[in-house]
Amino acid sequence: MSAAAVGGLLAPQMVLAAGLLGVLGAGMAAFSPKFIKSLMILAILGAFALAFGAHPGAGDALVGLDGLGFSWQLVFYAAALPLAFLMVAESEVAPALVLGSLLGLGILAVSANLLMLFIGLELMSLPAYLLVARSRGGAKTSVEAAIKYFFAGGAAGGLFLLGLALYYFTQKTMSFAGPGGFGAEAGIALMGSAALFKIGAFPLHFWLPDVYEASDPELTGFLSTALKAGGVLLLMRLAALSPAGAFSRALPWFGAATMIFGAVLALKQERLQRLLAYSSMAHAGNIILGVGAWAALGASPAAAVAVFFYLAAYLFMNNGAFSFLKATGAKTRADLHGLGARNPKAAAAFAVLLLALGGVPPTAGFLAKLLIFWAAFKAHLYIPLLLAALGALLALGYYLALLKDLYFEDAPAQAPALEPGRGLAVLWTCAVPAAVLGVAPWVLTYMSRLLAL
Amino acid sequence: MIFSPLTILWALPIVGGFLALALRSGKRAGVFSIALSLISLAFCALLPWREGAALAVTGPAWAYGIHYALSMDGLSWVMCLLNAFLTVIALVSSLGEERSAGYWAAFLFLEGALMGVFLASDLFLFYVFWEVVLIPMFFIIGLWGSANRKHAAVKFFLFTFFGSVLMLLGILALVTLRHRATGVWSWDMQGLQGVATGPAAWAIFAALTVGFGVKVPIVPLHTWLPDAHTEAPAAGSIMLAGVMLKMGVYGFLRIAIPIFPHLSWRLLPWLAAIAAINIIYGAFCALAQSDLKRLVAYSSIAHLGFCLVGVFSRTVEGLAGGTLQLINHGLTTGALFLMVGILYERSHKRGIRDFGALFGQAPWLTFFFSFSIMASIGLPGLNGFVGEFMSLAGAARVLPILAVAGVAGVTLAAAYALPAYQLVFWGDRGPSSVSSHVTDLTVREQALLWVLCLGMLYIGLHPSGLLSVITPATKGLAL
Repeated sequence: MSAAAVGGLLAPQMVLAAGLLGVLGAGMAAFSPKFIKSLMILAILGAFALAFGAHPGAGDALVGLDGLGFSWQLVFYAAALPLAFLMVAESEVAPALVLGSLLGLGILAVSANLLMLFIGLELMSLPAYLLVARSRGGAKTSVEAAIKYFFAGGAAGGLFLLGLALYYFTQKTMSFAGPGGFGAEAGIALMGSAALFKIGAFPLHFWLPDVYEASDPELTGFLSTALKAGGVLLLMRLAALSPAGAFSRALPWFGAATMIFGAVLALKQERLQRLLAYSSMAHAGNIILGVGAWAALGASPAAAVAVFFYLAAYLFMNNGAFSFLKATGAKTRADLHGLGARNPKAAAAFAVLLLALGGVPPTAGFLAKLLIFWAAFKAHLYIPLLLAALGALLALGYYLALLKDLYFEDAPAQAPALEPGRGLAVLWTCAVPAAVLGVAPWVLTYMSRLLAL
Repeated sequence: MIFSPLTILWALPIVGGFLALALRSGKRAGVFSIALSLISLAFCALLPWREGAALAVTGPAWAYGIHYALSMDGLSWVMCLLNAFLTVIALVSSLGEERSAGYWAAFLFLEGALMGVFLASDLFLFYVFWEVVLIPMFFIIGLWGSANRKHAAVKFFLFTFFGSVLMLLGILALVTLRHRATGVWSWDMQGLQGVATGPAAWAIFAALTVGFGVKVPIVPLHTWLPDAHTEAPAAGSIMLAGVMLKMGVYGFLRIAIPIFPHLSWRLLPWLAAIAAINIIYGAFCALAQSDLKRLVAYSSIAHLGFCLVGVFSRTVEGLAGGTLQLINHGLTTGALFLMVGILYERSHKRGIRDFGALFGQAPWLTFFFSFSIMASIGLPGLNGFVGEFMSLAGAARVLPILAVAGVAGVTLAAAYALPAYQLVFWGDRGPSSVSSHVTDLTVREQALLWVLCLGMLYIGLHPSGLLSVITPATKGLAL
């Protein structure tokens, strides 16, 4: 393939890189933060548009775009938009970090080679550590969480390299098409653990609650949707190396364990961001189960529609939930008391999102869960499926508790003043698709078409 | 075509719910909602459906064989009619209190979703409506219920969701097995007979039984019911007992039994045991209650047991009687909850011993309560007798011991209902009696109860009117 064609594949990444340089340059030239932020948003929108118009093709030994990469790119860039709109940018640093992380995700999407996957993985993660450290005005807890995140990420990177070395040693290639064998299986398992680390699967999740709690709400939204989608893509690439291998067969169990663990711990949380952090673990469990089922069914890109839809729905649901936290300033469950009466519009949108996260029809969350369950059923994963059903029930427990706080509890006499930020528009933009996508199964037909590109 | 009378039947209340919300003022929303519910009742009553599902809609396939598909037969029609009718009763009965627009909207959403449940002929659509029903009821209990409402609302939602998740797994299994057998993805309710065999059939039938059983509710999945019924506002209890419990039996009639006609017949002793336990256990629990509303709630468990007896017996008269009993229970229990709600509204008490000698104070209330209690315990000439008699007659043909348990239940019903009735209306007033706060019925309340009680009388004297609609739809399930 010609260099020009490869360049065409990489157009979104080039826009992001150009945006990154532009943002840094504008910062040095002392442009206003508002301008810099607009530049970042423009770059993300441009990348989204180019990714949408891209023509998948084989590319060369390092990069290539298949239906999976094509679809995931859309999720990545869309999931960055809430953060881009809501973040407080006082200088060029934060916008540059966001664009850098997105560039990493973009590279991940077009990687046709394990080494490229590693580069994408690291590039998406490094800016994220710094973004976490800068959260809440660089508060102590945020820096601490960032360090924890960094070490967890470093361990994940190390595992990946170790696995890659083993893979290369036995397979003599870093491409996705090795001859296989025990060395490959062991390498995949090690690299796969790195992906599970990134997704926050049990028992590699220990960094997750702290990081998700210490970050600004909109950043947590980004971490839990865009970066998580990146981790999922990594996981799928690795599972596809050996769909019937030991690692792929273990995935449903990891998924079920993650789900139950996250859901049980979320039940007990009083602080909202921590609750949503554990709940995002439960969702990650569903997704991992979906990846396991996908691998068991042969790992063809067109069959990934369940996982793709879940991530797309989750993008709206979770970013919406975090933009609600941003918009109202609510921090604990007690802050929610009586909010249904005090702030009916935001509360209604949040209620819709909670029902969606809980998987209640007719919301997008319902269809997402249904597709995962269905895929698991088709793949004969009956026990993980039953555990997932139990997890869905547990999850509904805490989402209903939040609904109860919103509407059924009265506000305390002297309610502490919340510090509302912006975000109502983003909240509604997320709530509406979360509400209606569940009764729009034709979206699935469209998604299957994208995946089969 | 998607646009058909059936679509209007469920969409009209839902759109109306949004409009009621948009009206903001509770008063205007109330008038609007009542007008709309009357229109939907008239619309439902006048629908030109014919047996054999002449009135059906099938939209284009969405994905994976999911269709927008509705159909109406006699069973659907009577359930929709009951739903529309009780919604009118529930809404009009709420006129006495100051309610916000959200209250009225919630009832309209509930009505629309329930219509969808009774109309859907695609399993996906059925499940969506089945779950959507929970959302408005969750808010009705949690926002406008009495003291323990928050707990009751969450418990109600979680319990039913538990059943629904199992049911969903069962549905998924059926759809997937059909695909394995025929190579076609389809969520149509028809044509699933025989796709599951062996242990898979057992497992799926068990999942469906739990899913529908939570709604009925069958003992021991019933514990959400006393809380939800007691804590809900009166109008909410009317809808809960009057229509929502019927979803479970409807599920058996529409899905579980048609798909597993032989398995459900082989399991008859077990299913019959469930129904018998419901009757006896519900009655004994009702016997032990000191709270009037809780008593009516537990009596619902017993009454729904009669419906199950008839349905599981799989005889023509049993199936028709069990279905008729669904309607009967909607009318009688609707009336009883309405009157208990009126008592509570005036005195803020619900205990049986909080009242006494209401007769002189409130003769109309006494009259209607006597009437409804008599219908409830199955006095010949009123509706309850017909339904119970037919159910038990059906049971006696296939499993006489079941009929014996049923007759014991009838006796027990008299044992729990009459003493409570006697104490409240004729007994002595205790020192803490609040009877003096109870004023007689207003014209509006009388009108509602006249309608309900005349309905009971009509079914009691002329059951063939409804039976001629129900029997053609249910006799196909008879063996």
